[in-house]
Amino acid sequence: MDTRSEADRPAAAEFDHRAVTRPDPVLLKHYLILSLCSGPFFPVVFLAHYCRYITLRYRFDDDGIWMAWGVLFKREINLAYRRVQDINVTRGVIQRWLGLASVAVQTASANSMPEMKIEGVLDADGLRDFLYAKMRGAKGHRDAAAGATEDGGADAPDEALALLVEIRDGVSTLRARVDALEATNPGGDGAAS
Amino acid sequence: MSKVADRAGRWVYRGVWGVLVGWLRVPDEAPNVPPGSGEVVRSLRPAPGFLSYLKVGFWVLAVIFDVVIIGVWVLILAANPIAGAITAPVFWGLAIIPDIFAYVALHVRFDTTWYVVTERGVRIRRGVWIITENTITFENVQNVSVRQGPLQRHFGIANVLVQTAGGGGSTAEGGTSAGHQGLLEGVDDAQALRTLIMQRAEASKSAGLGDDHHEQREGRGSLGPAHVAALREIRDALAT
Repeated sequence: MDTRSEADRPAAAEFDHRAVTRPDPVLLKHYLILSLCSGPFFPVVFLAHYCRYITLRYRFDDDGIWMAWGVLFKREINLAYRRVQDINVTRGVIQRWLGLASVAVQTASANSMPEMKIEGVLDADGLRDFLYAKMRGAKGHRDAAAGATEDGGADAPDEALALLVEIRDGVSTLRARVDALEATNPGGDGAAS
Repeated sequence: MSKVADRAGRWVYRGVWGVLVGWLRVPDEAPNVPPGSGEVVRSLRPAPGFLSYLKVGFWVLAVIFDVVIIGVWVLILAANPIAGAITAPVFWGLAIIPDIFAYVALHVRFDTTWYVVTERGVRIRRGVWIITENTITFENVQNVSVRQGPLQRHFGIANVLVQTAGGGGSTAEGGTSAGHQGLLEGVDDAQALRTLIMQRAEASKSAGLGDDHHEQREGRGSLGPAHVAALREIRDALAT
């Protein structure tokens, strides 16, 4: 699951964030095992987990993540990629057997519990890399590297520079005109100044 | 004799490790780093001193635990030799078996802890039953603290705690997997690591909270040498 070879790297990068809308059916199996662990409380626990599973929806936009679940009490969470602080990937033994992981995304809220826990995504490493690339730091780095040449050098400073050049030319023509006036009419100019 | 025991111990441990990797799917290599995160600056494990540190803690606890259990057994033996003889396996088992497990667990804990420092952030993996991989980017680092107790100083190790914004949880040593922080336990060059992380945290202009939009706009509006030259020409034109 954690291969560092270069061959696997592009495959991990090709995480299609738009394809993820529902948790994988394997998640239900995980919930079933979890519920079985609760022993006599199995029906209650499993019902709660089952409701969560069937209503769980994800949407990965260009700017953020939307997540909703709940039958009686509905919950929705919206989160912008740029506000992501930490990403925690947790894998229990059962999750490792099933090939699952839970990706906990944290923002800077005053709560130690993660704001969003994305479960049932099979390519958890791909999801994490995707989020990691969308976080604040990545953007800044890319702008610093690529944006410095195209964005910073091309349009905006040129506009200001063109304005300055125009002003400079205007001032110099004004200056020339004033000099010409001074040359033709020194007396009047002296009286004026 | 001790050499044989050592080899046997190593053999047993290799078996335990094989089960962990094969059956419990514990990864036995460093965590991968996301593409485009730059070079892996350092991929490190806790220092060997950390293992010794854990072992000291283990022996202290084990001795206290065992003295109590064996003490109780000796009292029973003194009061009633037959009852003492019957309960001997129970008491000795209670005294020894948990120690073996704890000792193996300590080694496993040491071997499953990984820290990877890249250009952009740190990734920390720890855990055996539940494996947690925590990723923190330097962009979001608020502060880095180094903690070292007297025993840790003796073994030349320290804990480096990287904290991001946001509250909750305990910032104590125990909260290894609590939110908004990453703990690099038992590293032997804590000062160098701290400097490395702080340098990268300070290098990013928008470190801290919020977006870096305004910072980019500022960069776009700033005057370059060409602008200054044009302004200087205007001044010169006015001065003459």
